[in-house]
Amino acid sequence: MTAEAFPRLSAPSAARRKRLLSARAQEILMLAPASALIAAFLLTPFLLSFRIALTNERLIPRPVPAHFVGLENFAQVLSDPTFWQALWNVTRFTLMVVPVQCGFALAMALLLNQKLPWRNFFRGALFLPAITSMSVVCVIWGTLFQFPSGPLNQILGFLTFGLAGPVDWLGNVNTSMPAIVLLSAWQAYGFQMIVFLAGLQNIPNELYEAARLDGAKTWARFRHITLPGLRQTNVFVLIITTIQAFKLFTQINILTQGGPRGSTDTVVQYMYSVGFVDQRLGLASAVSILLFFFVLAISLIQRFVLRDRQ
Amino acid sequence: MSAAASSSPPAADKLRIVKVASVVAITLVIISPLFLLAVASLKPDRFQILADMGSFKAFWVADPSLKNFADIITFSGPLPFGRYLMNSMIILAFTVTGGVFFNSMAAFVLAWGRLPGRALILMLLIGLYIVPQESIVLPLLSIVNRVGLADTFIAQILPFMASPLYIFLLYQFFIQVPRDIYDAARVDGARPFEIYWKVFLPISLPALATVAILLGIETWNQYLWPLMVTQTDRARPISVGIAAFFGADSIYWNYAMAASVMMMTPVLAFYLAFQKWFVSSVISSAVKG
Repeated sequence: MTAEAFPRLSAPSAARRKRLLSARAQEILMLAPASALIAAFLLTPFLLSFRIALTNERLIPRPVPAHFVGLENFAQVLSDPTFWQALWNVTRFTLMVVPVQCGFALAMALLLNQKLPWRNFFRGALFLPAITSMSVVCVIWGTLFQFPSGPLNQILGFLTFGLAGPVDWLGNVNTSMPAIVLLSAWQAYGFQMIVFLAGLQNIPNELYEAARLDGAKTWARFRHITLPGLRQTNVFVLIITTIQAFKLFTQINILTQGGPRGSTDTVVQYMYSVGFVDQRLGLASAVSILLFFFVLAISLIQRFVLRDRQ
Repeated sequence: MSAAASSSPPAADKLRIVKVASVVAITLVIISPLFLLAVASLKPDRFQILADMGSFKAFWVADPSLKNFADIITFSGPLPFGRYLMNSMIILAFTVTGGVFFNSMAAFVLAWGRLPGRALILMLLIGLYIVPQESIVLPLLSIVNRVGLADTFIAQILPFMASPLYIFLLYQFFIQVPRDIYDAARVDGARPFEIYWKVFLPISLPALATVAILLGIETWNQYLWPLMVTQTDRARPISVGIAAFFGADSIYWNYAMAASVMMMTPVLAFYLAFQKWFVSSVISSAVKG
């Protein structure tokens, strides 16, 4: 820059000012698209949901304008047994899917972290379910769960010598949620497995060697080196899996629609049927605000726990 | 970390065989449903598919046929899957291209710009990151309906291009670029956009690929939003199209299988080609916390 070779003591030249200004204009223009999109499609609907939740607005507006109803929507949701059933189902799902999915992912990560032939091939193959879309997963597992003669019922009959009759996995109140847990865990464990593998590779090898010299057995090494070394990863994986479990929807909507007898109804499915099917936007907005606070609470717990550990 | 071979060879060997055998067995069990899907998609008779499911015939097809695929692509099946697939690809292409571009531009300004209020915007973004998509879709739907964008591609592209998560991921990447690189470009007289375009983008390919892959997977798998916002086949993506099979009394399993294979194939091809990038993008989305 020639201007800077002879710095002036007075104010910057008009050319330099113009240059600075145009640099600033460029920055604004670069920030604008993303900001505008987020303002329009994330911030606005989010803020709007708080207003709509206080009215009796419909999805397709009626000739009669919507009016303010105070906290009536919240009262109605919180006194609806269907909502509590949905909340309980999601909790049940979370309590089942988190240990199954994370436990299996950790076990596979431990296995794949060892020196095995074609290790990369197995890693690649075991990640395949994770890249399978939920709609496709539903087609596959919909067939596997077929009643009365689907593959899972055949295997069940074979293993119990025909003693256990065929089960209508998705159509039975007792098995519907475990069936959803099974297909959800199958689809999603790959992500946790990869994250655990990365966590395992961050544990220094010297720790294991030192422990081996001290005569620590496999279990002791796992308990005192692997588990503490994975602490951050564990907390992260548990929280993410919990949040995702809370938002359970796609497989429910495709396979069971919340049935049989509400045994697989979830908070998001409830919100969908109240807001979209029944068109009661105000009521559904109250549900989405409650959902937001659940997710927020889980995130805050994550922050708190992580900070505690550092 | 396998047991030290020198200490007790026979026991260690046995353990190793057990480990390899269990990995092989588990992998077979885990991917067998996918194999089953691929095989079934080649059987044109839907009742045969169900009948075969009960036995080992499920893993074998005597006379493979592409009739299912031909039918659903040429619109002679129950649902226009050629169109659904095309819709999904259009939505994906625009969302990912725009998303990578807009998010990285914003992240660059937030990381290296001189605009006042950048810290505030960043904090707002981090705050918004917590808001789950599920809790804004209904108000968003009412907005989209009101401005007449229901049942369009735009309604499925614009809302998901910019995302606090990806801006933040890219911001974290850009902020680690050494100051000298930025200063050198500035001293040469480059303006912000030139610095971003000519200096930062070329060295950010791993981060951009991460965002492209994560956003791509997310877009391809969108379900709740397109389920509500599409009313006809015009802009309906394949994820929602497949789900329509389940509404019928008797499911066309042959077409459902073929449609599933069609939905899975592009992702699989990408995955096989860029496996390393897939894995590293999953890890970087996680490390973020």
